Amino acid sequence: MIEFNLNGKVVRSNAFDDTPLLWVIRDEFGLKGTKFGCGIAMCGACTVHIDNDAVRSCSLPLAMANGKEVKTIEGFENKHPLQKAWVKEQVPQCGYCQSGQIMQAATLLDKNTNPSDDEISAHMSANICRCMAYPRIKKAIKEAAKQSTLGVNIFDPSISKDA
Amino acid sequence: MKLLNKSLLNNTSKGIDNDFEEAPQLSRRKFLIGAAKSSLIMAFAPLAMSLTASASQIISDRAFSPSVWFEIKNTGEITVHVARCEMGQHVGTALAQIVAEELGANWDDIRVEHASSDPKWGFVMTGGSWSVFQMYKPLSQAGAAGRLTLIDAGAKILGVSAHSCDVKDSKVISGNKSITFSEIINKGKFDRTFTPEEMAKLSIKSPDKRHTIGFDRLALDVPPKTNGKAVYGIDVELKGMVYARPVIPPTRYGSKVLGVDDSKAKNIKGYLGYEILKDQSNWIEGWVSVIADTYQSAIKAADVLKISYQAGSSANINEQDIIDEGIKLVNQKESGVLFVNDGDVDKAFKVAASSMSATYITHTAMHFQMEPLNATAEFKDGIWHVHCGNQSHSLTQPAVAKALGVKVEEVMIHQYYLGGGFGRRAYGDYAIPAALTAKQIGKPVKFIFTRVDDSKFDQARSASVQKVSGALNKNNELIGYQHYVSAGWPTLAMAPGFMPKALDGKGNFDPFSTSGSDHWYSIANNRVRTINNQVAQKAFNPGWLRSVGPGWISFGAESFIDEVANEINIDPIDLRLSLLDGKGKNKGHHPQSVNGAKRLKTVLEHCRKTANWGGKLSKNEGIGIATSFGQEREMPTWIACAAHVKVDPRSGEVKVKKITMTLDCGTVVHPDSARAQIEGSILWGVSLALFEGTEIKNSNYAATNFHNYTPLRMNDMPEMEINFIDSKEFPVGLGEPGVIAVAPAIANAIFNASGVRLRELPMKAEHVREQKAKA
Ligand code: FES
Ligand code: FES
Repeated sequence: MIEFNLNGKVVRSNAFDDTPLLWVIRDEFGLKGTKFGCGIAMCGACTVHIDNDAVRSCSLPLAMANGKEVKTIEGFENKHPLQKAWVKEQVPQCGYCQSGQIMQAATLLDKNTNPSDDEISAHMSANICRCMAYPRIKKAIKEAAKQSTLGVNIFDPSISKDA
Repeated sequence: MKLLNKSLLNNTSKGIDNDFEEAPQLSRRKFLIGAAKSSLIMAFAPLAMSLTASASQIISDRAFSPSVWFEIKNTGEITVHVARCEMGQHVGTALAQIVAEELGANWDDIRVEHASSDPKWGFVMTGGSWSVFQMYKPLSQAGAAGRLTLIDAGAKILGVSAHSCDVKDSKVISGNKSITFSEIINKGKFDRTFTPEEMAKLSIKSPDKRHTIGFDRLALDVPPKTNGKAVYGIDVELKGMVYARPVIPPTRYGSKVLGVDDSKAKNIKGYLGYEILKDQSNWIEGWVSVIADTYQSAIKAADVLKISYQAGSSANINEQDIIDEGIKLVNQKESGVLFVNDGDVDKAFKVAASSMSATYITHTAMHFQMEPLNATAEFKDGIWHVHCGNQSHSLTQPAVAKALGVKVEEVMIHQYYLGGGFGRRAYGDYAIPAALTAKQIGKPVKFIFTRVDDSKFDQARSASVQKVSGALNKNNELIGYQHYVSAGWPTLAMAPGFMPKALDGKGNFDPFSTSGSDHWYSIANNRVRTINNQVAQKAFNPGWLRSVGPGWISFGAESFIDEVANEINIDPIDLRLSLLDGKGKNKGHHPQSVNGAKRLKTVLEHCRKTANWGGKLSKNEGIGIATSFGQEREMPTWIACAAHVKVDPRSGEVKVKKITMTLDCGTVVHPDSARAQIEGSILWGVSLALFEGTEIKNSNYAATNFHNYTPLRMNDMPEMEINFIDSKEFPVGLGEPGVIAVAPAIANAIFNASGVRLRELPMKAEHVREQKAKA
């Protein structure tokens, strides 16, 4: 039995120790925002935070999450400045990579509130966007860095629009 | 080459046969407006149907399930039903904008719903950059019909004449009186039918009166894609479902399972068994489905299954075999079929003062869409329900039905967001193993391909070979031009009914592996032959990859024109401009190609100005130019592209510093997403030119995952400058065209920077080094 904190709640899983955390999050706890892309830590679609570090959940055995704090895109509760910036800059195309991109970008801003172009590129090149929405990802990160006051309420048309 | 062109659809060729039916064309249908359950509903029905009942009867009975285009609830909420899939292009937003424009709707009232499979929609395919081009007119007219109806009803309630009324912000307004759409729906009666002729006569807003088209709206699909709420095919869960993963056989065609040993799998907790899939259409052969109660267990069990096969007959084909075959084909005078034949090409080459030719090769390229293939299938109440993101119900539904051995009506495809399409989700054959597994085990199944499984079952862009030749007179004028193109043909494999007859009547051809060769340069004697590479066809299932034929054909055509310019020592832009006279067949026609080649000339001149052409550059740098007319001559998106590169003289490494692109795509419905599509497709172009590509090895793709297939990442991204020509002309496609001109522009830039001419895609540092060594 593995126990960890998932988006602020303690959860327990009986899955095999070597089950990638990704499938436990998605299929056992039903949080589908974290995506499967490659399974070998090459694309970043499955990025989550473990104790505030960006980690590829497709390649992290469940056992390694024991006792840790795991945060997924759902854990941001639509309040992270990056999410607001993502809407403002109209970043997503197919959108499939974007949870991972946002989780990855968040750890950059945590450590560096004003990243340069090159710092953004270096940090974000771990994540693939097959639609190649890269220019907007970059722009949105800069935008969020400008608005770096965490916890701002954001306007989410999906709530009013049921989109 | 137009999708709904009857002659194409009637044309079935041998080979694998698709039994999709001809689409009921919108132009032959009546438009109905009626009220049902406190909503105003606007729908299309076949002509015959509306003769037997009133519009509101048909609508409230939904007896004939007319295809609902949009409905306005009495709360004022307007739902536009979109029979196109959302794969990153925000198409729902653009199509809804067209309706909102004519209807006079307040944008905040608009919702979009993506339709599930229903034959009443007619042939549905999201691809070819067609959506806005095809839907612009019918949606505008449908919106206008709705406006007329609301004005008539609103005028009555207000006690004014309909002529005095206009619509704005979801209100009917007359002088200082107004009434909202929702009030009208609560009070009015609606029962109205428009014949196709009446629809055609409805007046559509002039461009200067527009309030929605051409303005940016936040795309409706964006917010759920930033918080994990967007539901993709892979997120579907059904009650009582199990998980499955395929074991993909050694060859794409003709494999047979001889035996399966699952003794090791039995030790894996959660393993439920395997099935050898029985596909009645033989689309997939020799597939084993591994079933478990979690996906992880299915992955593990599939890894330890021991299967013995009898492989298909063409198990040992390699990339070089395909290229060799292509080289042979393009050098045979009469190979393939005739596609363009202007003037007398043979004579032109005979009388020429000089001639030149070059051969261009592109290698196998793959989709690697971000969401691996998957589908969830269930048999319920007599219907096979298939849940997946797909680009074409009309191709997928019959394919699944045939594999199951049931009628098309017994299959229902449910649509979700697509984690990328790029052509891989056009023919949704990944739903077949899901449905078959569900059938064979009698349970709902969620069937997921791992990335490796997905790669093995990709429909790659075939390797290609093309030969371009030019004949020059003694004044160095291009008097003859000949282009032979050869590749594996996706349309032959997946939709042979779409293959039109060749010019010489000697067979059918794949328009998606030919388009791009029918350029807009005026050259009196001009011939194109298009040739199927059957070695490729046997080895794998060639696919449609974003930008399809023009994506590789223009690499040859637009590299060659630069080679000619260099040979005769004139500026390659000047040479192109001199050929873009917009005369004869290059004049274009109403509505989609008004002014023809002259518009290509305009974008090229614009791009020349913005791209620092002829300006001073640092050492080892160069700018190259190329043009494109998009996906097809019948739907031209006019593009000029300049690439600024730096070539490391030692390592041969190519760095793209900047791409400058000018486009004229007619009216831009949703400017911001148009720009997003171009940004993405330019980067696709750079990626396909320099970073992507694989090879066929023993009839399989050598690349299996993102460690050996390496699309461009953020650190490779060049600077981009994108300019749209302000145009009020008919809107054409945008999803793919931006890809096309990038590779030849880079090739031309490499030549200008280093003197090395690369004629192979992808262009690699080692190719530069090899050429340098030879020189
Ligand atoms: S799915 Fe984990 S990095 Fe690709
Ligand atoms: S938005 Fe499609 S993969 Fe990034």
